[in-house]
Amino acid sequence: MSPAVKRTLVVASLIFVAAIFGGRGEAKISLEKCTICHGKSEFRKVLVDGKVRNLYVTQTSLMGSVHGKKGCVDCHFDVMEIPHRQRPKKVTCTHCHYKGNPEGAPQSDVYLEYFKSIHGQKIAQGNDKAPLCQDCHGSHDIKHTKVPGSKVSKENVAETCGACHMKIYANFASSIHGVKAAEGNLDAPSCPDCHGEHNIYQHLDPKSTVYATHVPVQCSKCHASVALMSKYGIDAEPAETYKESFHGVASKFGAKSVANCASCHGTHDIRPPEDPLSMVNPQNVPKTCGQCHPGANANFAAGKMHIDASKREAGIVYYVAAFFKYLTITTMLALIVHIFLDLYGRTRRFKEGK
Amino acid sequence: MDLKEKGYEDHIDEEVERELDQLSNDLTKDDRDRLREVVRERVHSEMRKEAERLREERASELKKKVREEKKKLEKKEKEEEEYFIRFNKNFRFQHMVMFTACFLLIFTGLPLKFPDFFISQILMTIFGGVQGSTLIHRIGAILLIYFMVHHFFYCIFSKDGRRDFIKLIPVPKDARDLVINVRHFIGKNPERPKFDRFSYIEKFDYWAVYWGCVIMIGSGLLLWFEEITMKYIPKYWVDIAKEAHSDEALLATLAIVIWHFYNVHFNPDRFPGSLMWWHGKISKHEMIEEHPLEYERLMREREEQEKSVEVETK
Repeated sequence: MSPAVKRTLVVASLIFVAAIFGGRGEAKISLEKCTICHGKSEFRKVLVDGKVRNLYVTQTSLMGSVHGKKGCVDCHFDVMEIPHRQRPKKVTCTHCHYKGNPEGAPQSDVYLEYFKSIHGQKIAQGNDKAPLCQDCHGSHDIKHTKVPGSKVSKENVAETCGACHMKIYANFASSIHGVKAAEGNLDAPSCPDCHGEHNIYQHLDPKSTVYATHVPVQCSKCHASVALMSKYGIDAEPAETYKESFHGVASKFGAKSVANCASCHGTHDIRPPEDPLSMVNPQNVPKTCGQCHPGANANFAAGKMHIDASKREAGIVYYVAAFFKYLTITTMLALIVHIFLDLYGRTRRFKEGK
Repeated sequence: MDLKEKGYEDHIDEEVERELDQLSNDLTKDDRDRLREVVRERVHSEMRKEAERLREERASELKKKVREEKKKLEKKEKEEEEYFIRFNKNFRFQHMVMFTACFLLIFTGLPLKFPDFFISQILMTIFGGVQGSTLIHRIGAILLIYFMVHHFFYCIFSKDGRRDFIKLIPVPKDARDLVINVRHFIGKNPERPKFDRFSYIEKFDYWAVYWGCVIMIGSGLLLWFEEITMKYIPKYWVDIAKEAHSDEALLATLAIVIWHFYNVHFNPDRFPGSLMWWHGKISKHEMIEEHPLEYERLMREREEQEKSVEVETK
């Protein structure tokens, strides 16, 4: 081997090694470089309005999150030099999160629903109080929904939403759904189970999952399931009987002023009927019905609410229904027999040529 | 036989003989005989065939003429046939108000009972959604209540109303008529029962409307003014009213569509329906057929009247 060739080989292999380690080294260096400043626990910035912005980030900040293998500049890609002169821009998650991305992010387009949602609309209108991805999902500590400690897990999501929707959170937290969800019960609904995840709309928007005529559908997702309801000793029939009631039928045909589940049972503060604070506790029924039926009194609470006339439990209504059932059957049978006998007689006489 | 006497001027036989001679003068005698034989046979068969065809043609023409004459006669007869006024103007008006009300109520009410039925959605849209159909249902309700009140006063203050109401009260004869009619249907009784002004079928229709109106208007008012209702009576009465309203609605609709429509529209005698509800007239023929007792009575009354007129004029 000539020295020239040797030299070339050495240089080539050095470049190769440098390319391999160099790449990694750069990321590492970048992270290390970042933590030169951000790794100091007292690293923070006092904002104009007096609020303190904590800027403390360590090498372990991303560990355990779904982005554990990413580095700082993977998301803060507008940081070109260190120390950066300008404040880095807000992280744009859609940089990686889109269908067909090569980064290994989930191949899904559901995030796009966010842009049409009320939150996305408000952001587009320039409302800086509206939430971005990181406001719900967290910034460095993003975890999968099903992982405990995730900001959007069953037990935590209500609190996450409640950061902005405080009054509603207070209502929800003490409701039967809120109590069970906070216990980590996966059957219990939390905010997204009714309102949707990314496709959240105002309840007056017909696209909303909790639009007046969609409420029964939402509640029925769980409350119509006998298997699920029997686990908690709850009757699954009301979902069905509501549909047959005037309220339910009118709602099906698009009436918005008619009562849906939430009108009587409450929206966020749903409680079991035994609870004296429940809107459907017999003592509170007059007030609840009175929302739509002015002057409602104790008579409104006298009698069952969700009635299935075909069941004996319906009491007197069952007997009324049974009376009409047999009256209809016998009357119509007699009339139809009379008609057929008449037709039979006619055909017979016709054949005989009379 | 002199052909001239029958009016024929030419002689077919001579003509044929002449032509045969000309055509066959170069043939042998045997061949000539054969030719003559063939011609004779053909002429005979053609003659018979043609004569038969002509005879048939005349016959069918005659038949057609007779049929047309008959039709004309029937039409004339029908036009000249005597009519009786079965339903007076007031009664016809009541019936029209009632069936308008019923159609409005059925079309806006039944979709609520069968919300999943595909026609229900269409009907709801036609009548302007829940709000529109509620309004129309209540207009129908007002019409039906008006009909009920109108009929009540008609039965008390009108002479025809009083007579009809009394005639409509069920009597033991109606049960006997039913038995006779059923026996007639199954061929055990050659005669139909002789009905008076109202047959048991019509009486059933009438009292079914009574029952239906009482249930529907009663429960309907409780539901219409549910807030006032529940000021005085507990909620379960409203539930009963709702159940009764919904169930009786179905029964009434079935009775109208199946029973009443069969008797006045789809019954082979009446198909596709009589216009009696519009003009109130009944033909003499139908009167004798359907209401013989009433017809006999009317005839008796007429005779007596004529006699009394005669006596007066004398």
